Amino acid sequence: MRGRRKNYASRRSEGLAGYVFLSPWLIGLMTITAFPMLLSLYLSFTNYDVLSSWEFVEWVGFDNYKKIFTADPTFWQSVRVTLTFGLIAIPLKLAASLGVALLLNRERRGVGLFRGMFYLPSLLGGSVALALVWVAMFNGEGAFNAGLSLFGIEGNNWINDPDWALATLMVLTIWQFGAPMVIFLAGLKQVPTELYEAAQVDGASKRRQFFHITLPMLSPVIFFNLLLETINGFQGFTSAFVISNGTGGPLGSTKLYTLHIYDKAFTDFQMGYASALAWIFLAAIGLITIVFFSTGKFWVHYSDGEN
Amino acid sequence: MHPATPASADEPAQHHGSLPADGLNRRHLLRLLAGTAIAVPAAGLLAACGGEEEPKTDPNAPVTVSFFWWGGEARAKLTEEALKLYTSKHPNVTITPTWQAFTGYYDKLATISAGGNAPDIFQIDDNGLAEYAGRNVTLDLSKYTGNKKIDVSKHPESLTKYGQLGGKQVAIATGENTPAIIYDKTKLGELGIEVPQVGWTYEQTITWAAGVTTKAGGKYWGLMDPSSDYKALWLWLRAQGKEFYDGPKIAFSEADLVAWFQLWVDARAKGATPPADVCHEAVTGSVATQLVVTKKAAVSFMWSNQLSEMQKATKNDLGMTAYPGDPKGQWARASTYWAASRTTKAPDVVADIINFLVNDVEAGKILGVDRGLPNNLDVRKAVSDGLTDQKMKDTVAFENEITPKFGPAPAPPPKGHSGLRNSLRDIAETVSYGKATPEAAAKQFFSEAASALA
Repeated sequence: MRGRRKNYASRRSEGLAGYVFLSPWLIGLMTITAFPMLLSLYLSFTNYDVLSSWEFVEWVGFDNYKKIFTADPTFWQSVRVTLTFGLIAIPLKLAASLGVALLLNRERRGVGLFRGMFYLPSLLGGSVALALVWVAMFNGEGAFNAGLSLFGIEGNNWINDPDWALATLMVLTIWQFGAPMVIFLAGLKQVPTELYEAAQVDGASKRRQFFHITLPMLSPVIFFNLLLETINGFQGFTSAFVISNGTGGPLGSTKLYTLHIYDKAFTDFQMGYASALAWIFLAAIGLITIVFFSTGKFWVHYSDGEN
Repeated sequence: MHPATPASADEPAQHHGSLPADGLNRRHLLRLLAGTAIAVPAAGLLAACGGEEEPKTDPNAPVTVSFFWWGGEARAKLTEEALKLYTSKHPNVTITPTWQAFTGYYDKLATISAGGNAPDIFQIDDNGLAEYAGRNVTLDLSKYTGNKKIDVSKHPESLTKYGQLGGKQVAIATGENTPAIIYDKTKLGELGIEVPQVGWTYEQTITWAAGVTTKAGGKYWGLMDPSSDYKALWLWLRAQGKEFYDGPKIAFSEADLVAWFQLWVDARAKGATPPADVCHEAVTGSVATQLVVTKKAAVSFMWSNQLSEMQKATKNDLGMTAYPGDPKGQWARASTYWAASRTTKAPDVVADIINFLVNDVEAGKILGVDRGLPNNLDVRKAVSDGLTDQKMKDTVAFENEITPKFGPAPAPPPKGHSGLRNSLRDIAETVSYGKATPEAAAKQFFSEAASALA
């Protein structure tokens, strides 16, 4: 009895010590994340314009939210662009990363080099420099068209054509598939080889092995990558901003939701309105995440649970 | 820090100017402190502390002034040199300059100005001026132009007026600048076509441009399509005796805008301007992507002070003339302005620095025509005489040629303009890409204007 109490007490003081060690992170979370977030939630119900002093900040209730849904055509345009972007680019990026991971999973000479090469574009991240390279590649006289002209094809003015500008952005995003690829590779290494051996004994084809062993065994990793890439993908900003010179053009074809938030906050100085846009965005991404988690149980297979 | 000082420092700050004897004593004391500062570092610290608390009372008290502008490396060098000249004459003033490229400048300015902490002096242009002045970020400089602490007597009147909003002098122009078309002299020479002239009508210019396109025979056009450019529209309106803004409202009619869009639909049909996707490359106005630089068109719609910079981006020889239409539509326009923060702790020093930058001949010679022609006509004369860059000389010659033809200056664009000019850009493109009729586009613009200027 006595020993147990002592144990409890020491556990409590250990817990306290834990919080003390956590405190740098906790304080950071509070001041750098939680406080600004709550402030922006408050601001989304005001007419805050960045520049005026605080005494001019007025509570406007749900006006910003009402205006977004009823009187802001650019909002709907940016939702359309963002959804198109997400629904096409994210699945293709995952497919590309899984495909390349499968190819690079075999132990061959020089496979490390190839893994490095395929990962390289991701190291450059959403950088400005890379976006500028994209402009140079995909404008009317770009390298891409120069390549096409070798085959006698006259290329489009890709980034300046409203029908193609978003597609070039998607290609840029998909091309940076290195991060999910590495995670897939790690996942593939975890699949027990006995399963494949057993399947081979049973005479299962490679295709069947892929669909009945690889995919189910990999499903937690797929789920993880899907979640991460969705959240990242929808938050993309830099490349669209740089490639369109901040316009989201031509004709609003690359006006991602984040660009609309930026415009409202820093061009129109409607920071309250922009905060409301940001919170709608947060809610939407949260909703998508919930949908993923609730449908996950139907297709994500956790083998650990059966041990 | 030293509890005795705040009380005594606050008092004179409230009755500044009324206690000369007290001020004199302090000055002596501070000089003494400054003298011993070399030997006793702590004394220097004390002097610095004291200075921040009583900037208004003593013109020689140490003052720190933050200073923010956008531009390239070359401009930074010139500006820092001019500021150094000021601080060498006023050793009590410390200026902390910060600068960056134009991209992102306004984001940064807005962020640091949030909550009333704008830099003491900052560069701004007419697109942003009303946004900042209208939200009470800027210091009203009327007092200083009134008592000649900022002397504008030798500045063109319209240039001074273009820094006024709601009866206040909210900013002082850094220099005079004029919209100008820049053309490829070499290419036009090769084609054997005359160069455009001041006073050509838009019809003449478009016919001329169609001729360039025909003669060039290929992927080369006569003229950039300026339909999405608010300054081109503004000058087109003014040449007809109309205006863009009337106070915080749009001054032209929907029919005017339809006519403007139609003008460029017809120009494109005649082959005078390139297709929309080519124009879109140059739509943000940055020098590097202009069609004259990328050799896709003979004419770009620019600013007169950009000639020198643009010449550095191409091997072909460039020339410059006025936008089409009656030059009375033009006015002495501020290339950028110096504005001050309303919350600055040293408004007198800030005003003195601005005055120095725009009126001092030595400072003017250092700054050159980088931010447009110097405001002060004496400085302008001195600076133009000393120029060596041929294209800068051309800019001065152009300004001198066109200045007598200027019309009266309008007020700077109102609050909401920076968003609205983007609306015009995007809406004009719906016409040039063939997605909307001029009528539908004009209607769209007016509906967006109603909410942007509200």
